[in-house]
Amino acid sequence: MNIYVKELKSHRKSIIFWSIGVFLMVVSGMTKYDAYSSSGQSINDLLKDMPRSLKAVFGMSDLDLSKVSGYYGMLFIYLLLMATIHAAMLGATIIAKEERDKTSEFLFVKPVSRNAIITAKLLAALTNIIIFNLATWISSIALIAKYNEGEAVNKDIALLMAGMFILQLLFMVIGSALAAVKKRPKTAGSLATGILLVTYMLSISIDLNENIEGLKYLTPFKYFEAKNVMFGGGLDPVFVVLSVVLIAALSAVTYVFYKKRDLNV
Amino acid sequence: MNVIEINNLTKTYGKARGITNISFNVEEGEIFGFIGPNGAGKSTTIRTLLSLIYPTSGSASIFGKDCIQFAPEIKREIGYLPSEVFYYDNMKVKDLLKYSASFYKKDCSKRIKELAEIMDLDLNKKIDDLSLGNKKKVGIVQGLLHEPKLIILDEPTSGLDPLMQQKFFELLEEENKKGATILFSSHILSEVQRLCNRVAIIKEGKIVTVEKISTLKENNYKKFKIETKSPLNQNYFQMSGVNNLAVDGSITSFLFRGDINAIMKKIADIEIANLWIEEPDLEEIFLHYYEKEA
Repeated sequence: MNIYVKELKSHRKSIIFWSIGVFLMVVSGMTKYDAYSSSGQSINDLLKDMPRSLKAVFGMSDLDLSKVSGYYGMLFIYLLLMATIHAAMLGATIIAKEERDKTSEFLFVKPVSRNAIITAKLLAALTNIIIFNLATWISSIALIAKYNEGEAVNKDIALLMAGMFILQLLFMVIGSALAAVKKRPKTAGSLATGILLVTYMLSISIDLNENIEGLKYLTPFKYFEAKNVMFGGGLDPVFVVLSVVLIAALSAVTYVFYKKRDLNV
Repeated sequence: MNVIEINNLTKTYGKARGITNISFNVEEGEIFGFIGPNGAGKSTTIRTLLSLIYPTSGSASIFGKDCIQFAPEIKREIGYLPSEVFYYDNMKVKDLLKYSASFYKKDCSKRIKELAEIMDLDLNKKIDDLSLGNKKKVGIVQGLLHEPKLIILDEPTSGLDPLMQQKFFELLEEENKKGATILFSSHILSEVQRLCNRVAIIKEGKIVTVEKISTLKENNYKKFKIETKSPLNQNYFQMSGVNNLAVDGSITSFLFRGDINAIMKKIADIEIANLWIEEPDLEEIFLHYYEKEA
């Protein structure tokens, strides 16, 4: 419990800044929608002429950008990127920082098991990503309400946030597992974000090239895409199960490897 | 009863040397010195005891319990001061000590105040702003605040001024009188000489010897220095029991261990100008151990 509280305190500033960041992201995104929507249907005509590859890169494909829901769907991928970068870095640093800051000779000689320490730290990280998720959710609902013209979107947003939460969890445990396995855990954070960017690039490549559609299982960014989740699609059970299995496996890796490993002191 | 039992503990880091077949016991209530030059494996041994790292082979037990299997339980009664102290920078000393105390199921606030007073430590400062010596003091208070039964100190005096060192040693002696067992690693021999009952000497990852300080000092070794009127034959004192023989002009010096009569007869046979027989200080004994295998 004391470790959990300590971790919450030490990440307090960071989560406040991230929450402000995601809020500003939603604000600036939705303000642009204001400009789009005031030009009416013409924006869709304009986009029709845009090359498909460009639209894929910007995450605009298959979305009706003239509607607030479609526009938010495009914005969502950026929110998702922020959320997962936050989660991956948090998962990695919360485990690795004792060794990075050389405080392991303080914490690990206390009468607590390594498992208990990991549990407290992962719970603190979980709390942080929940706060991030809620900040995104509240900002989204508030800002969309401002520009909405009678579309029922709150359920879709809830579904998107549920998908985002699963991916946050997934990237958090990718980070923590890397920090637990690596002999030099300091580098786990950058490796985790590296993996994140590679999988994101892969998801764009899949959008560009239908022949590699089969690779979608390899990139979490393809699991819960706005265009599939919204408008009645919901969360695909296959990907939910896949995510849960990955999260469980990576959590197990975190515990098992960290318990067995020599600490860098 | 043995508080610490170490059996054939070996730790290898790839090619680099770790420790090899370390075995020794620390008895309840004693102050045990663990001596060796830098890089000999003192910290590795201690960190293995604390299960920060795991042994390649061998085992160790503390309070009769395996130090890995029962690590959390054992650590309730261990106070540890690492050789280099690092803490969470953005915390105040007070908060860090409270955090440290929160791991033990007892109220340590009174003891924190006492210790801070003895060590002359300002509790309201930020750890960030502390000098090395003051950080060390935080480490000392942090290691002792829960009144542990076993105190493990890794090079505890580095960074402390002589006055603080003095106070710190008094504190340790006090804790020892109250029943605490102390394992004290150092490369500074004089501090060991003063505090410890027994020492283990470690060199290149291996235990060279475990002995009582009193035995070590006790005159198994005598330091001889002889001034003669005419230079001696280099090999005159080349006999069993003589070590570190050095002939420098008219001065001959060596360490002697063995039958004192034999050496006195040998000396009586030559014309001497002056004679000094001294107890060697620990430094010389240790140097002897260090060099023996070199």
